[in-house]
Amino acid sequence: MDLTRIELTLHVNGRPEEFAAPPNELLVERLRDGLGLTGTKVGCDTGQCGTCVVRLDGRSVKSCLILTASAAGSEVTTIEGVTTPGGELTGLQEALRQEHGTQCGFCTPGMVMALGELVETARAEGAAGGPPPTEPEIREWLTGNLCRCTGYHSVVRGVQRACAPAEPEGR
Amino acid sequence: MTTTTPAQDSQEPAGVLGRPLDSREDPGLLRGEATYVADIDLPGTVHMAILGSPVAHARILSIDTKAAEQLPGVLKAATAADFPDVMPLPCIWIPGGVESHFPPHPYGLPGARPVLTGDTVRHVGDPIAVVVAETPRQAAAALAAISVEYEPLPVVTRADHALADGAPQLHEAVPGNLNAYWTCGDKDRTDAAVAAAEVTVELDLVNQRTINSPIEPRGAVGVYDPATGEYTLHASTQGPHNHRFLLSALVLGIPFNKLRVIAPTVGGSFGTKGYLYPDMALVLLLSKALGGRPVKWVDTRTGLMNSTVQGRDHRQHVTLAGTRDGRITAVRCTSYANLGAYPSTIGPGVATALMGRSISGMYDIPAAFCEVYAAFTNTVPLGAQRGSGRAEAAFLMERLVDRYAAEIGMDPAEVRRRNLVPKEKFPYDNGLGWTYDSGDYRLNLDRALELSGYAGMPARKAAARARGKRLGVGIATYVAVCGVGPSTRMSKEGMLGGTWESANIRVHPTGEVTVTVGSASTGQSHGTVFAQVAADELGIDPGQVQVHEGDTLKAPYGQGTYGSRSYSMAAPAIALTARKIKAKLVRAGAVFLGVPEDRVVYADGGVHEVGNPDNAKTFAELAMAMWYGWGLPPEIEPALDETTHFDPPDFNYPFGTHIAVVEVDELTGETEVVDYTAVDDAGNIGNPKVVAGQIEGSIVHGLGQALMEAAEYDENGVLVSSDLESYALPRAADAPFFTLGRTVTPSPHNPLGAKGAGEIATVPPAAAVVNAVVDALSDLGVRHIDMPLTPEKVWRRLRGEAP
Ligand code: FES
Ligand code: FES
Repeated sequence: MDLTRIELTLHVNGRPEEFAAPPNELLVERLRDGLGLTGTKVGCDTGQCGTCVVRLDGRSVKSCLILTASAAGSEVTTIEGVTTPGGELTGLQEALRQEHGTQCGFCTPGMVMALGELVETARAEGAAGGPPPTEPEIREWLTGNLCRCTGYHSVVRGVQRACAPAEPEGR
Repeated sequence: MTTTTPAQDSQEPAGVLGRPLDSREDPGLLRGEATYVADIDLPGTVHMAILGSPVAHARILSIDTKAAEQLPGVLKAATAADFPDVMPLPCIWIPGGVESHFPPHPYGLPGARPVLTGDTVRHVGDPIAVVVAETPRQAAAALAAISVEYEPLPVVTRADHALADGAPQLHEAVPGNLNAYWTCGDKDRTDAAVAAAEVTVELDLVNQRTINSPIEPRGAVGVYDPATGEYTLHASTQGPHNHRFLLSALVLGIPFNKLRVIAPTVGGSFGTKGYLYPDMALVLLLSKALGGRPVKWVDTRTGLMNSTVQGRDHRQHVTLAGTRDGRITAVRCTSYANLGAYPSTIGPGVATALMGRSISGMYDIPAAFCEVYAAFTNTVPLGAQRGSGRAEAAFLMERLVDRYAAEIGMDPAEVRRRNLVPKEKFPYDNGLGWTYDSGDYRLNLDRALELSGYAGMPARKAAARARGKRLGVGIATYVAVCGVGPSTRMSKEGMLGGTWESANIRVHPTGEVTVTVGSASTGQSHGTVFAQVAADELGIDPGQVQVHEGDTLKAPYGQGTYGSRSYSMAAPAIALTARKIKAKLVRAGAVFLGVPEDRVVYADGGVHEVGNPDNAKTFAELAMAMWYGWGLPPEIEPALDETTHFDPPDFNYPFGTHIAVVEVDELTGETEVVDYTAVDDAGNIGNPKVVAGQIEGSIVHGLGQALMEAAEYDENGVLVSSDLESYALPRAADAPFFTLGRTVTPSPHNPLGAKGAGEIATVPPAAAVVNAVVDALSDLGVRHIDMPLTPEKVWRRLRGEAP
């Protein structure tokens, strides 16, 4: 038995991927280097910046803090799984576009993945008559994602727009 | 909660310029499709890792790389000895300047940084050796197998300490560690004015060292083509042309035309990625050594913090003199600037001219003088950081004005109003070397006071006290020199290199247009804004205009993006080029319309005969006809392809007023910025949406310095704040929404009336916030608190502890 490699399967953006991973491999390394999904970024060494956020079984997680092996069998959604190349933007992305919520764009995929969960929850609660998230709640949610360009303002406005009940369906 | 209110004084623009068009870059970025340097994956790529010194100052007795080379996947390990012919990294901004038509060699400055350090390391992270391996992990692992023997040397990390007698010496060629002593202004007049003054106030300020921290770390991919002898560098850079010049001619000794530099999408820079770094040369050298395999290097966050230039870092003694009735008569500054271990590409100029010539800010002051001692220490080299130089200048002046207002018992807004340069005095010579182009400073200040609700602050202070909070208000005004630059003027500042900018416009037979510029975006939506400029001039749809930049093979020469210069340097070059195209179309139009040239007008994206709009040709028709070239007289060349090199007559000077309202918690010392008003004047702007985004980001960057950011070195010269756990960057919860306003005074120095915009709003926030916190604590006798205003520091002052 080869202890330097672990055979496993990940369901990435709806597709099963089978491979053998070194036990110390990080999920972000598998996604970027192993599977060529470079939309997920690496901005730090300490789990602080949030550029590597992906959805793991629906929850947003920092893929630089997770070993590939520990994600075995899970559903992983990356930014590539949210839209098709050149394709239509989701409600959240469209709202961020309208508010110019991105400048250099390096933090953006991580933000979209992290905020997707917030917007989905908000919209589900909104459909049940609940209030949209408040500005402090949005800012709190964003605490795990650093952006050095926008000052977060356009991002917060984008989320407010995406959560507003009249807007088109978010994902 | 306040909301962002874009309050504009400008009229509705006639064309597409000045309109808040959506950024065309955004959709691709939102889909995660852009290619940053770490995403480049060329066939056969190998990976480089750099061994940085673990100690701040030591002699290297020996380096042994043999064990590393035996490890799996390792292709090569190299040290300084492997590259004997490579020159050190040049410094191209040498304070003091030259009065010459022929620049001296840029190694005139002693202490130049070697690509790899062979004998002495001078800061933690100083590169000693490199390893290339098949995978990034193999390369990183191999570093641990390199053995280096060090003989430790004493360490100094503060500029003032480095200049003291008996301080550790960094460079043999620089006795006393003094890289430069630099002055501007009139010392005698200033000293006399201070001596004769009714009132003088003094402050000792620490403008702490900060780390720019673009969210994308730096990276580079080097490719050598053995067949042609040509090199290609893909790098996370804000100045591809500039790097091409510095690397080819000066460091590697290869012809300029054998090096192509490509900036892919760049994940923020804020000044730091315009510098030349050892890694850029190393990936090229190693690709050649490995027969042309692409060599890739991507930095880590901790690596970035120990190698990418850092910012600010001045210790200053500053003095302001004035009358009892609020008239400022003199300002004086003695500054100790910490250049770090080596002169970075333009660090010495940032620490001197960019700061010193700006200290009098928006004020009409009869006497001003600044002196800077720029010293080497065992820290990361100093460079530019969003708002560099101007932020340090605004900080000292605006702290002094508040101190002075308190001393004479006058409202700080009133002191400012009385001393602003009056409108009729422009162009205004500030006595320190800058001549301000245009402005209505009083209108700007009044606008900010009004938007912030300044008159209502006393009532808010009382209400806050009832809640256990101390509310403070801080004003900061600023002038930011931008539009670097007029090349001859820059030569007098000691800049070795042309600082003009260029643009090419090519009109295709289909009527579509390609604009190429030397500038390179690091997130400023150049593709959107530059298309607006060309489309506006040509009267066509911006959707017809494609913008190319960031590749030295495609674009004409240009210095790149820094100092908020793209819109006042590259955009004017585009506008002037479009005007050449129009002029040619008027001449050709005379042929196509069959009327004399003076009967032809260019309007709405085509030409027509004066008084006869039916005799007309559209832009698309003209483009096709010019491509065919049928029937053109010999004096009109076929095709539409024009280039402009734009060198402005002088800089431009955006300015503004920011007002911070803070609440300090009496129990915890925590400072919350509750309101922030910014009224900036960047002249005519191209896209208000894009500019507002940059202003918002800039303010948060400035708040970061005021409240939390600090590069801390311990007594051994180890950077303690070397990751994002120990170096605090502002997060979304650290700022409120801002109230933004605008005044508009166009610059006369470029055809668009543009002034710098991208980073200007980083200049005043630190002063505004510190002024506000000192205001909140003033009844406790607090006169100043050094940044960053951490809760602990403020809490101690609330308890009456001395600083
Ligand atoms: S790369 Fe994962 S949090 Fe920074
Ligand atoms: S857009 Fe540049 S870091 Fe967020």
